[in-house]
Amino acid sequence: MNRLFIPILCIFASASVVGLVWDTPLVATLSTLGGGALGLLGWLLLDNWRATLLLAWLRRLQNAPNTPLPPQLSGVWRMTAERLLRLFRQQRQQENRLSLRLENIRDALHASPNGVIMLNGAGRIRWLNRSACQHFGLDGKRDIAQTVTHLLRDPLLVAYYTQRDFTHGITLDSPLATIARPLRLAVHIYPYSKKCLLILSRDITVIEQGEAIRRDFVANVSHELRTPLTVLAGFIETLQTLPLIEDERCDYLARMARHAARMQNLVGDLLALSRLEANPPPDLERWTPIKTLLAACAAEAYALAAVTAKTKGSAQHKLIFPAEAELDAEIAGSADELQSAFINLVSNAILYTPSGGHIEICWTPTPDGGATFAVQDSGPGIAPEHILRLTERFYRVDSSRSRESGGTGLGLSIVKHVLQRHDAKLKIDSTLGAGACFTAVFPAERVRRI
Amino acid sequence: MQNKHLSSQFDGDLSQACAQLLEMGGLVEMQIRRAVAILAQASLSLAEEIFTTEIRVDALEVAIDHTLSSVIARRQPAARDLRLLLAISKITTNLERAGDEAKKIARKIKFIVGNDNHAARTMPIGDLRLASNLAADLIHRALDAFARLDMQAAIAILKEDDLIDREFQGFVHKLVAYMMEDPRVIGAGLDLLFIAKAVERIGDHAKNIAEYVIYIIWGADVRHRPLAEIEAALQGNPANPPENLS
Repeated sequence: MNRLFIPILCIFASASVVGLVWDTPLVATLSTLGGGALGLLGWLLLDNWRATLLLAWLRRLQNAPNTPLPPQLSGVWRMTAERLLRLFRQQRQQENRLSLRLENIRDALHASPNGVIMLNGAGRIRWLNRSACQHFGLDGKRDIAQTVTHLLRDPLLVAYYTQRDFTHGITLDSPLATIARPLRLAVHIYPYSKKCLLILSRDITVIEQGEAIRRDFVANVSHELRTPLTVLAGFIETLQTLPLIEDERCDYLARMARHAARMQNLVGDLLALSRLEANPPPDLERWTPIKTLLAACAAEAYALAAVTAKTKGSAQHKLIFPAEAELDAEIAGSADELQSAFINLVSNAILYTPSGGHIEICWTPTPDGGATFAVQDSGPGIAPEHILRLTERFYRVDSSRSRESGGTGLGLSIVKHVLQRHDAKLKIDSTLGAGACFTAVFPAERVRRI
Repeated sequence: MQNKHLSSQFDGDLSQACAQLLEMGGLVEMQIRRAVAILAQASLSLAEEIFTTEIRVDALEVAIDHTLSSVIARRQPAARDLRLLLAISKITTNLERAGDEAKKIARKIKFIVGNDNHAARTMPIGDLRLASNLAADLIHRALDAFARLDMQAAIAILKEDDLIDREFQGFVHKLVAYMMEDPRVIGAGLDLLFIAKAVERIGDHAKNIAEYVIYIIWGADVRHRPLAEIEAALQGNPANPPENLS
């Protein structure tokens, strides 16, 4: 206000001087007042112009935050503008910080393997994360503001949602699940703030499959043990009740011995498996020459091939082992376990290849410093749908035939376990009618040359 | 999914009709999924659920018809709203029939497995797995397209129905081969033919639903028209472009 008076006073003063020079009191008074009014008007106009400038600048500031202050502004107006600019920048900064934080939280929710869907009070989707999209086949952008039950139509979920009893969760198949690629979800809804709902979904396919495998395993073991037990019980009853001649008695006892041996094999394999699971991983420092492992393997294989040929009365399998000169390597780990795995692979090949077939055993160093142990047979081969499940316990491609051939159904499980403990992988390649190749791939740190 | 009307009660009525339709859709989808599982595993434990769901589907069909007639009587809808209501009525019918086909599949499988174990084992039931999975997927996507009013998705469904038809043809040839080889499986073969036909019909119903979705959005009736013509019309009609309102 002070500044306002200075020019007014000046005008007053100058007008008075004019009045004095004229030397008429009336003219002096009139010119004083008129000059004052004119000065006031001029000042008001100037002030208004500055205010308009400030407003225009503010308006521009909202769109372009870097607009410079108009140079015409001075004094109080300039100070006001500077203060406003500071406030404006502070607010901007805070907004940026908050939106960054929000973005951060959203990214974290997107990274979560659990699906999150946020619903507003009307049951429309407010936000959802990537996992939720994958679980339910939703679209993260387009499905915002959609009514949730229009897209998640599973009757189980709809009933759960409409009954509003959210004390427990439910499990259901994802709409994307197919027979070949099952997707089982555990879904739980939680209410939050005012009438809003949070739908959480978790992929429990693996857990349910694990449960199923465990159930199957117990059922399979019981079944495998019951069959020979029933046979044994039957023979025992016959021996107890019927008067038999010596030959019959011997025959029955021989059959009983065979079934008892089968049970023994099965229990032996089961124990081997549980030992593999319970024992600490094999030592990296104990090295065994591959030569000794394969020599033991060859001895067993020839014996088995001879026995099979004799019992079937047919031609013996042709076994091809690598020459000793090629076996210039050592392998780290438990010699017993590796030997049993190798023998398992070779005897499988002998059992499943028709008599007279070829079985070739190879030991090949790989370029990365590791090595592979491969067993290639000329048998009937394995269909692709069986290959994935072959190492499951008691999984049989053709159940009647394998039991006949004396397998326990656990051989490949043991092989897979042993190889896993030695950081190796089991690879199975086969085409129907063209034989099968079982390969154990050992990594470089487990193999060294001598 | 609607634009706002002056009367918010009208919006409520329309969205109630949609909600009822999609609830029914969920039930039918479940029936079809169960039928597919039965086909793949030839196990009957799931069949009962299909039959019990049928009652709820029928009840919903009646309820939807009631909602529609009352909305039409009270509101006298026009343009897009009228199209929506008409389409809901038609889609309801299609869904109900698709559910019936699922029921048919379950019943036939039950019959085959119950009657003749030998036939069930030798016949190529597993071959229907791909086609039935496709059909279930199409119904699911058709209902999604309705919920989102998604033109592109609806057109994609029209394209894919041909795939099921081709699968069906291939399966029929295979069945003929089986039946010529062993006349004892003709009975089971004919039953399987009915199942394959039911799967193919489910695909057709999905296609019909997709056509009604296009009708709602675009206002043009695209039934019984070749796909190429629809696509050409869609591209060459900027005056009435497909708008994706949601």
